[in-house]
Amino acid sequence: MAVNSTTDRDYLLPCGRDLEQVWRRLDAVEAGLADEHEASCAHCAAARESLRALRTATRELIEDPEAPPPDLFGRIMVAVRAEVRRGRTLDLPTPHPGSVQISEESVAVVLRYAADTVPGVRARGCRVRVAESGPDGERVIAVEMSVAVRMGGSGVAELIPVVRDRVRTAAAARVGLRLGRLDLTVADIYDAGEEAR
Amino acid sequence: MSAPNIEFVVADAVIAGIAARAAAAVPGVSRLEPGVRGLVARLARTGMRLWTGRDAAPSDGVRVMRDDDTLNIHVDLVISAGCRAGEVGVTVQREVSRVVAEQTGVGVDAVTVVILDIEPEQSR
Repeated sequence: MAVNSTTDRDYLLPCGRDLEQVWRRLDAVEAGLADEHEASCAHCAAARESLRALRTATRELIEDPEAPPPDLFGRIMVAVRAEVRRGRTLDLPTPHPGSVQISEESVAVVLRYAADTVPGVRARGCRVRVAESGPDGERVIAVEMSVAVRMGGSGVAELIPVVRDRVRTAAAARVGLRLGRLDLTVADIYDAGEEAR
Repeated sequence: MSAPNIEFVVADAVIAGIAARAAAAVPGVSRLEPGVRGLVARLARTGMRLWTGRDAAPSDGVRVMRDDDTLNIHVDLVISAGCRAGEVGVTVQREVSRVVAEQTGVGVDAVTVVILDIEPEQSR
């Protein structure tokens, strides 16, 4: 597997060598077989020093007879979950160079919560996508949401505008996005007796 | 009196550490999110500490990227519910470039903020 130097610039030393190459040559250089560049380059020498320290430290960790910390699994799962969220983000407007992005999932959580505050409505699923840019560069989102409504409560026709209103307010106030299209699906009904929560 | 030909080099790890502190101090930021890359870095850092007895500044969730002559900082974070996400993001951008410039003299070209999660407010 070759390291692509254009996408993995993180692993390229300032002198042009890549870190993997330094790693592979670590033992050879230690045995006195350094080539001309390796013998003189300060960047390579610094990298070698860190890699040696890392290697020793990881060996110590591996040889450590104690079990890994109990929260290690949880930490790995949190990290993996964050990685998944990173894949789907929406751009928020910013006046500064760079960008501000928010994961679709966190927007969905906020909107679902907003719909939940309407009496007689329970939010179920929520999907958020970016629709288009508004007239002044504002981001407009399209939302698909499924809800359950209380049996014998207000009619669906009365509830829908309230839900739409709350969701639009939450998108603007909590996130900073404008709600364009909201597709509401009434996926279920529930008994008023279950309301005690 | 200025000494001639002295060049200061600020290591990326230092910039990352300062940026991480600046971002975490912004109201509404719950924590920085290290992700898989950060977890690996943290394990490596634990190893380093065992080995050298020194502790590196935590910079989880912050990546410093240099491309040609520009310096870009990327911050992954989790905010708490009850604040406006867009405003928190913009404030983090502003604070990170301000604090890094103030403490190191290094100009930051762009700050990318990614809000990965919104946490319910803690009742503690």
